[in-house]
Amino acid sequence: DLMGVRFSGSHAQTQEHKTNPLVTISEEPETLYKRLSLLVKGHDKAVLDSYEYFAVLAAKELGISVEKIHRPPKKIERFTLLKSVHIYKKHRVQYEMRTHYTCLELKYLTGSTAAVYLEYVERNLPEGVAMEVKKTKIEKIPEHIQEPVWDTLPQVEETEVKS
Amino acid sequence: RAARVRVGKGDKPVTYEKAHPPHYIAHRKGWLSLHTGNLDGELGAAERTVEDVFLRKFFHGTFPGCLADEVVLKRRANALVGCLLLLPHLAPAKLCFLVGYAETLLSHLYKCPVRLEVQTVPAKVVYKWL
Repeated sequence: DLMGVRFSGSHAQTQEHKTNPLVTISEEPETLYKRLSLLVKGHDKAVLDSYEYFAVLAAKELGISVEKIHRPPKKIERFTLLKSVHIYKKHRVQYEMRTHYTCLELKYLTGSTAAVYLEYVERNLPEGVAMEVKKTKIEKIPEHIQEPVWDTLPQVEETEVKS
Repeated sequence: RAARVRVGKGDKPVTYEKAHPPHYIAHRKGWLSLHTGNLDGELGAAERTVEDVFLRKFFHGTFPGCLADEVVLKRRANALVGCLLLLPHLAPAKLCFLVGYAETLLSHLYKCPVRLEVQTVPAKVVYKWL
């Protein structure tokens, strides 16, 4: 990154750091996401390809590592209808709807990074394209599971189970 | 035999949109109305189609004889964007008024922000003579 370094000898920049009204600092710990999976579906493959390029570029700018980009196979929904209004069963029309998919998987995000990235990417979704997001959270193991149960319970006499 | 212009004597001007039959849709043609209703696992296709039909009739009526080609409708997260190609049969002031009128009326009808992107073309762009 090219940072604009100023070699001015004057100390005009020693003002107090103004708090940016858009940035909020909260005390709660960040939620961590192991994987953020974006599944994009659309009718037009060219639109999906350009959107994937845009999303990957945005992720690189924000410093998010992209795990993999894979394209699940397209799904075609076909149906056959009668061509005529009244009779002529032998003459039919076939329609089909093709849905192409692209899946972007991003690794290791913090809650705020995920929020910013998703907001930007969702606002710029092209028309005719739908997106599904799946987040995998990392949580601490809750306290009551951390030690195996058989270590903590006191010695109990075995009772016979009557069937 | 759907959406095909029959070959005639060679005096009928036909635009690119009309010249291609529907099996060219993803190959040589684009879509006229873009929404997510027809994707796999998405709902609301019928409502969008009904809205589309109404919108095309509405635009056909508000711009009498001025539409060069079909209206392209896009839906981007609750907002409706309509792209029109108009012929300069009406004065620009009248066109501006009609655009504003259409936008406000449709936003009140459909309860969503409606934007019209209008472009004037000197004449209908003819692709073929059939």
